[in-house]
Amino acid sequence: MTTAPTQVPPSGARVAAPAKGRAPGTARRAFLLLAAVAALAVAVLASVMFGSRSTPLGDVLDVVRGQADPYITTVVESRYPRTALGVLAGVTLAVAGTLMQGITRNPLADPGLLGINTGASAGVVTATAYLGVSGQAATVWWALPGALVAGVLLQVIGSSGGGNLVRLVLAGAVISAVLSAYIQAVTLSKPKVFDSYRYWVVGALGGRDFDVLWAVLPFAVAGLVLALVMAPGLNALALGDESATSLGANPVWLRVGGLVAATLLSASATAAVGPIAFVGLAVPHVARALAGIDFRAQLVFSAVLGPTLLLFADVVGRVLLRPQELMVGVVTAFVGAPALLFAVRRMKGTT
Amino acid sequence: MTAGGREGRGVVTVGRAVALPVARAHLVAGAVLLVLLVAASAATLSLGRLGIPLADLPRAITGGADGVDAFVIERLRGPRLVTGMGTGAALGLSGALFQSVTRNPLGSPDVIGLTSGAGAGAALVALMAPGTVPVSLGAMAGAAAAMVLVYVSTGTGFRNPGRLVVAGIGVAAMATAFTQYVVYAMERDRAAVLSAYVNGSLSARAWEDAATIGLVLLVTVPLALLLARRMEIGEMGDEIADALGAEPQRTRVAAVVLSIVLSAGAVSVAGPIAFISLTAPQIARRLTRGTGAHLTLAALTGALLLVLADLAAQQLPIDDGLPVGIYTMAIGGAYLGWLLTREWKRGSL
Repeated sequence: MTTAPTQVPPSGARVAAPAKGRAPGTARRAFLLLAAVAALAVAVLASVMFGSRSTPLGDVLDVVRGQADPYITTVVESRYPRTALGVLAGVTLAVAGTLMQGITRNPLADPGLLGINTGASAGVVTATAYLGVSGQAATVWWALPGALVAGVLLQVIGSSGGGNLVRLVLAGAVISAVLSAYIQAVTLSKPKVFDSYRYWVVGALGGRDFDVLWAVLPFAVAGLVLALVMAPGLNALALGDESATSLGANPVWLRVGGLVAATLLSASATAAVGPIAFVGLAVPHVARALAGIDFRAQLVFSAVLGPTLLLFADVVGRVLLRPQELMVGVVTAFVGAPALLFAVRRMKGTT
Repeated sequence: MTAGGREGRGVVTVGRAVALPVARAHLVAGAVLLVLLVAASAATLSLGRLGIPLADLPRAITGGADGVDAFVIERLRGPRLVTGMGTGAALGLSGALFQSVTRNPLGSPDVIGLTSGAGAGAALVALMAPGTVPVSLGAMAGAAAAMVLVYVSTGTGFRNPGRLVVAGIGVAAMATAFTQYVVYAMERDRAAVLSAYVNGSLSARAWEDAATIGLVLLVTVPLALLLARRMEIGEMGDEIADALGAEPQRTRVAAVVLSIVLSAGAVSVAGPIAFISLTAPQIARRLTRGTGAHLTLAALTGALLLVLADLAAQQLPIDDGLPVGIYTMAIGGAYLGWLLTREWKRGSL
């Protein structure tokens, strides 16, 4: 599959437009955040209610109170891991995307674009093919180093000479291409690896248990903490390298730190649920529109909106083809891509 | 075709229709590429277990072979080699046309979703109508659908390179998600076959495939040469081109259409092969250190690259029958990396 090398924006990639006019007032922002949290709560509830058949809200509440009959309890509880994974993957993907778009000032920056997902995939494929690793929680441990290696390569190739934005994206394309070739070669020559890889690569929340969640949680938390530490500095960076330096921030370290955080986050997500497109690309745009230019606010909004989007997409995938289900990676691509195509029409000028 | 002139520049004329100024450096580069292509072809036919010894090769090609040698040259490696050459040339030419009109070194049919669209079309056919509709037909239709979708969603046609590339990303994402889903949903053996196809493969090609791509080249190459002069003017900018009567807008549309036809033709015989249309024109450009479309050189480079990659696919002891597209992806990716680091050191990017 040739996703990665095809995802290269023009060499003159557009710089994220600074928010126009007055930043939203604090009261307005608090209200919007409250609404977003409410939407997330609805998404979580929907994720527990809907499956190959629906459980009425009353029954779900009974399960939570521990008063439902065992059958319904089993059904509802079987949806807990995928809901929890959806929240984790949604938070990490969206925050990673926000960080990357902020650092590169490229509205198209996304973990998938920068080759980090491909790195995670290469790690999983290597482990299953050559190290005899099997089982989801075990392969997760190999997705993480794969993604980190890709992230380090990205830093080395892409930020030689001061972290030029276009270079970073191109470096991502290069890493993706070489690693995809490796993945294809291994999966096509080893049928067993091919079998597990072809399921994993679509990106799905179902069929995984809490072990996977516990395996990636520490990395996700580390990434989130690092992101929060970086956020104020990234505000300075948004003003340009020179202004940031005069404000006492170190642009190089901010970029490195931000990319490390983004790598940790997207690696956790990819390891847990496979490469899922468009959440990391789309959510930051919505977060920016709602939160204004402050990075700290953008990160908080992303962390709420990401899981909301991912869980709703997963529910749609479950309801659409009943009794079968469409994996969430397919749903996000078919929701996200038309949105991107629609946005293209509104792009101004010739880039 | 005649060549002549003075001071390192000549004019190649074909009848009255085409008169291309050609620098001597281009002729030298072209000759070198041809020699390399012949050498790579000879290696393709003579290396390995069933290879025909180099000494017997001239006789074998001119029809004097018998027995196993005849089978190898007529059924196994001959058609594969010619198909590869034609496909590579088509991809190189396609990329050169596209990069020239978008003035974007990354503008290439696979960057804007055509390749992924072809893969999705192939997947759809393999899923819905296995065995009744040829997969290559699905690939063609998928490539065409992807291009129409990109064209429509840009709103301004193919004029704006930025929009084109972003729309390509969107279409590619959808197409890839669909292909991956089909590969997942299928029974394993058929999924593996489809997966190999969507990487681009030249194994088991017949003379019909060679004829198909030959026909595509026969129609498009003269048209491309007719466009070449106008495109060189177009690279000076729209206003100058307008003033010189080169109709930049129509030239651009014509070049993009030709580029798509070439890519789709290549996809229909070999599946979506990565990176040739992106790298071949850039290598051609570097060979002559000049600007301009260099269509012929890009076509020759494309042919050479694909023949070399297929030689690797056939002879490297990695795994039997890995699709050639995997090799072009690895080599093309590495080349792109080298290119980028070099440009950065020079500070020109």
